[in-house]
Amino acid sequence: MEAPLKELAKLEQLTSKASSSKGKSIPDSLDSLLQSLRDAKNRLEAGAASEDTLVNLAKTVDARKKDVDDRQKEIYNSLARMGKALDKKFTSSLPFYPPMFQSPEANQALENTIAVHFLRTGQFTAAAAFIEETGIDVRSELQTQFEDLHKILTALRYEDIAPALEWSVNHRDFLESRSSPLEFYLHRSQYLRLLLSSQPPNPLPALTYAKHNFRPFYSLYGTEINRLMSCTIYLPLPRLKLSPYADLASPSIQIELEPMFAKEYCASLGMSRQVPLRVVGDIGGGGALARIEKGRKLMRERKSEWSQSDELPIEIPLAPENRYHSIFSCPVSKEQSTEANPPMMMTCGHVITKDSLQKLSRPGGRVKCPYCPVESLISAALRVHF
Amino acid sequence: MSNTKLNTEGVLLFEQPFARVPYENYRRVFRATQKNIERELGAVQTSAGDLATRGKAGGFDSHEAANVLEGMIVRVESLKRKLSDLNESAGKPTQDVMRQRLRYLGEIDAMQSTDTPDFTQWADTRLDRWLVDWALRNGKEKTARKIAEDRSIQTLVDIDLFTDIRRIEAGLEAHSCTEALAWCSENKSALRKSKSTLEFELRLQEYIELARERKTQDAIVYAKRHLTSWQDTHLAQIRQASALLAFPPTTRCGPYRRLYDPSRWSTLIQSFRLAVYNLNTLPSEPLLHYALYAGLASLKSPSCYCSATKNVDCPVCDPSLGQLAQEVPFSHHLNSTIVCSITGKIMDADNMPMAFPNGYVYSREALEDMAAKNEGIVTCPRTGTSCDFSALRKVFIS
Repeated sequence: MEAPLKELAKLEQLTSKASSSKGKSIPDSLDSLLQSLRDAKNRLEAGAASEDTLVNLAKTVDARKKDVDDRQKEIYNSLARMGKALDKKFTSSLPFYPPMFQSPEANQALENTIAVHFLRTGQFTAAAAFIEETGIDVRSELQTQFEDLHKILTALRYEDIAPALEWSVNHRDFLESRSSPLEFYLHRSQYLRLLLSSQPPNPLPALTYAKHNFRPFYSLYGTEINRLMSCTIYLPLPRLKLSPYADLASPSIQIELEPMFAKEYCASLGMSRQVPLRVVGDIGGGGALARIEKGRKLMRERKSEWSQSDELPIEIPLAPENRYHSIFSCPVSKEQSTEANPPMMMTCGHVITKDSLQKLSRPGGRVKCPYCPVESLISAALRVHF
Repeated sequence: MSNTKLNTEGVLLFEQPFARVPYENYRRVFRATQKNIERELGAVQTSAGDLATRGKAGGFDSHEAANVLEGMIVRVESLKRKLSDLNESAGKPTQDVMRQRLRYLGEIDAMQSTDTPDFTQWADTRLDRWLVDWALRNGKEKTARKIAEDRSIQTLVDIDLFTDIRRIEAGLEAHSCTEALAWCSENKSALRKSKSTLEFELRLQEYIELARERKTQDAIVYAKRHLTSWQDTHLAQIRQASALLAFPPTTRCGPYRRLYDPSRWSTLIQSFRLAVYNLNTLPSEPLLHYALYAGLASLKSPSCYCSATKNVDCPVCDPSLGQLAQEVPFSHHLNSTIVCSITGKIMDADNMPMAFPNGYVYSREALEDMAAKNEGIVTCPRTGTSCDFSALRKVFIS
């Protein structure tokens, strides 16, 4: 955005009240014009005016008007240059799409998604306005649940772990089943805060806290607890930062608690770990649409149709955290497995789809694996579920 | 294929209107300024010229000339005031909006990867902007204002533009073309450039309304004044309109019944919307829809619609988003990606897939963890089958 910003700075300069070496500002030109007009008028009223006064005045008016016009021309040119700079920055525009999500079902689904999004991201006033404007029905317990979540998160932001800890203790079984370190991390954050906030450095309150709270976690997080104890010898903070325990001084230990808590809280309600609308929006707005359009253009140029009209013509790369389902595409036929054509594991452990297996079959119901020397019976192949 | 590299080009594809709207607004401010200058200074110049000619002719009256000069002074003063007002109320604020938007877009130039807190914050704002755009286009103005206020992104959204659009559309809904016609005359040159026929459509509608009320005389006068100027391009329609006077609103004759059809008003709203979006380089669909379309299509897989393979973390598996995803194509994959249904991690050579004797596959990491906790016994969470860890078979995915 350098180029358009530079042009904008020039434009601001040109339209400002101040004159520069390059030319007079419009207010200045107008002031000077007014001055000339008033002078001439005074002279007329004093009876000191000759016909030259009027001829000269006409010349002055022309000159001032030219000053103004020149300035306007410069502004116009600056605007045009800015338009060009924008053209250069934005080489492609959004494609034309027919109206989407118009059916009553889709509309309702979208409104519902947006309402839940507002609640989940803590935008309660926007949610209230939205619910009022759309009249959609959002389960009231959902609202309370998210309000609770945001109360806890706000407390965490203000370094108060008590509400988060209370929730974690109440949901200990759940957290254990997910092997989540949340409860321990809350204590860890409190311990570190006690340790690092003492001035002059005094590890005693922190160590007392550790004695009271760390014991149940020793079996799972022993090494971590030992590190937490040992790091006290490197106090104060600037020294700790240069020590092998520098990671414990990092603010990310405190910052990461919030998303971690939100993730566990949502999981306990059977909700996704990420904000779904954000995930979809980031993928769509992060290059997927550009790629889809590029793929479509290519197909049009080659005048080939999509092989399957209900499937994208190209693959959109996804980050590992956005891979939610197993995709098995057969290394032999390149087709994706389906219920009718499931993935089959031969005795050697290699997997191909059922159709490919049939095609490779030899007399006697045997098959030679295309990836290793092993020959096996088709009937011995095992249907796998990912 | 993993990808956290920021695709700037793909991001900017959505942002052209965002940068263009204030730019077009500023051009309008410039045009208004220019018009004022031309009118006022032109008049001053003419008066000065007149005075000079009269001066040269020798017959000028000082008192009269002083009066003319006073008139010129008043004109220049009022021009100065007008320009200053225009700059304070529209010029400067629009420049500020431009600067803030360009800076906001400039932020992503400096970002490399999508997994940084900077980008997260940027993308949060982007989604808020999309939601405001969506809400404004769907007449949820209160929601739009609330989001903009809560997130302090007033300069990054076009509430005023859409409020104006709503006002004009409300006029059309109430069967009044006045607001829309005023808008047309404000944007005359731009509309002519884009060959928009919106003004003709509006004029034709006003004419039809006169015909509906059987005010034949008025209708003829109206047509002469407002329709004939379009005869080069719309002759056939003008002829048909003239004939309309011979048919009462209750006519059953196809073409004329269609002209009297009140649904023409909703078509007008559509045409107006198209023209105003076009003029501001806004797409006809909300930006959120584009993002949803591409995002859902990238994620949608047949597994999202099968209860056995649903994943609560997957956006498309969400019932509402899944409903929306019905309108988009499935994703396309050339290579296999096997995701462990226990840990959610992708399985590869370092974290091999392992199969239970019944064919259910999980990652080695998850199964080793389970075995360590249960004295070497592993249990399939989906079928409940248990076996010894040693009975698991390695699965090779090529």
